[in-house]
Amino acid sequence: MNERELQDAVGRLPKGIEPPHDLWPGIAARIDRRSWRRRLYWVPLAAAAALVLYLLARGERNAWDVTALAGRPLIGTTRLTASGRLRVGDWLQTDDSSRALIAVGRIGQVEVRPETRVQLVVASATEHRLALARGVIDAKVDAVPRLFFVETPAGTAIDLGCAYTLETDSLGKGLLHVTGGEVEFQTGQRMARVPLGALVQIRPASGPGTPYVDDAAAPLVRALIAFDFERGRARAVRNILALSRPQDALSLWHLLQRVNPALRGLVYDRLAALVPPPPGVTRRGALALQSRDLEAYWTKIQRIHFRLTVLRGVRRIDPRTGTTARE
Amino acid sequence: MPPPDDLVARAQAGDQTAFRELYREHVGRVYALCLRLTGDARDAEERTQDVFVRLWDKLRSFRGDSAFSSWLHRLAVNVVLNERRTTSRRERRVMSAEDPDGVGGAQHAAPLHLNIDLERAIAELPDGAREVFVLFDIEGYGHGEIAALVGIAEGTSKAQLFRARRLLREKLER
Repeated sequence: MNERELQDAVGRLPKGIEPPHDLWPGIAARIDRRSWRRRLYWVPLAAAAALVLYLLARGERNAWDVTALAGRPLIGTTRLTASGRLRVGDWLQTDDSSRALIAVGRIGQVEVRPETRVQLVVASATEHRLALARGVIDAKVDAVPRLFFVETPAGTAIDLGCAYTLETDSLGKGLLHVTGGEVEFQTGQRMARVPLGALVQIRPASGPGTPYVDDAAAPLVRALIAFDFERGRARAVRNILALSRPQDALSLWHLLQRVNPALRGLVYDRLAALVPPPPGVTRRGALALQSRDLEAYWTKIQRIHFRLTVLRGVRRIDPRTGTTARE
Repeated sequence: MPPPDDLVARAQAGDQTAFRELYREHVGRVYALCLRLTGDARDAEERTQDVFVRLWDKLRSFRGDSAFSSWLHRLAVNVVLNERRTTSRRERRVMSAEDPDGVGGAQHAAPLHLNIDLERAIAELPDGAREVFVLFDIEGYGHGEIAALVGIAEGTSKAQLFRARRLLREKLER
């Protein structure tokens, strides 16, 4: 066979040859498997993508911005140079020369003073919660009440729309000073309402003491501390009653609920003498600690206290009524 | 360039019935190519299935820039040659001269009767020579294309073709 004959033979070869049997069933089965695999392939991918998005979103939501105001505060074990993120569970710690500013979500800010250790506990739209292990923070929150909480070893400061300074040592002994709005400090069943211009001592075992105004006489403050945290409570109560002014009504209102029933009448009578109860509040109801009477009384005391505080140096306010005093 | 015909378009959209029609239309050509390139009927069946599975995966990338049959042909060549490159398991299954059914063995259908000697002789060629011969003399590829497809030098392609033709003439003269 020569080259030409070979080429002729090649030219006669059929272009197509049918396979000996139908190959389609095998092809169809493989395609089906691949189709399912391809469909399922997206399941873990989609799940992974969703997880990543969730974690990213969660990470963004569950973290607050922190700015170093002085020195190099620590977030966890990382030194903060200018700014960073405080994530849920992270501890922020300042030394004796550093300070930091935490953005409380979108509702406020907390300045962390030197020698302070604070942890972000919850960062959600409905709850903003820090834990103050020790040190001093200055909080300023502009939000509806009960969105911002600070836990301390002695109890929890609950924001009611306010500004305040909270300090505690590692054992829980500390002080809450409210400079705007009002704060509740709660330890178990014991609660203190602290309006602007007032303070409350806090202790680990007993929680918040009896609040007092920031211009209260030192003997009165000592008597309150004695009543709240020391022995000789009956004598302390008598001292408190003797030393109280109309401006100290908020202390007596708290005292009314804390003294034993035998002394409660004395406290009520002194409070009523200093700031007459509003209409509808009865002695019997107050002594029975009826919430309707106590709340109505608190509203009046709070209103007077507010006017006394914000108009201090501007206008003379009658501390018994909250009205402008006659010259 | 002609747009993909309706069958191709439907198959591209995931219509398996249309894809089956494409298979029916092109399987003879694809199987012939696989059979001649592999020299083995069983391998040819496997590669033919591979080609159509691959086609299912790649079909969406067909844009109609060339005739569908040409595109499929090139795909088939790549599938067969890639398989040969990536597997070392293949044993050359030389069809026995005593096997009267030819290319695929007793249970497999033979090529057309008149060409059975040539088909057998092609199948008996060494792998390299057979691939070049099939691609150049039967499928009409140039040496440059074959060199790129097979992964050899163009001169090697020419030498393999020369060798294949000589071997075939010798076989067919016996």
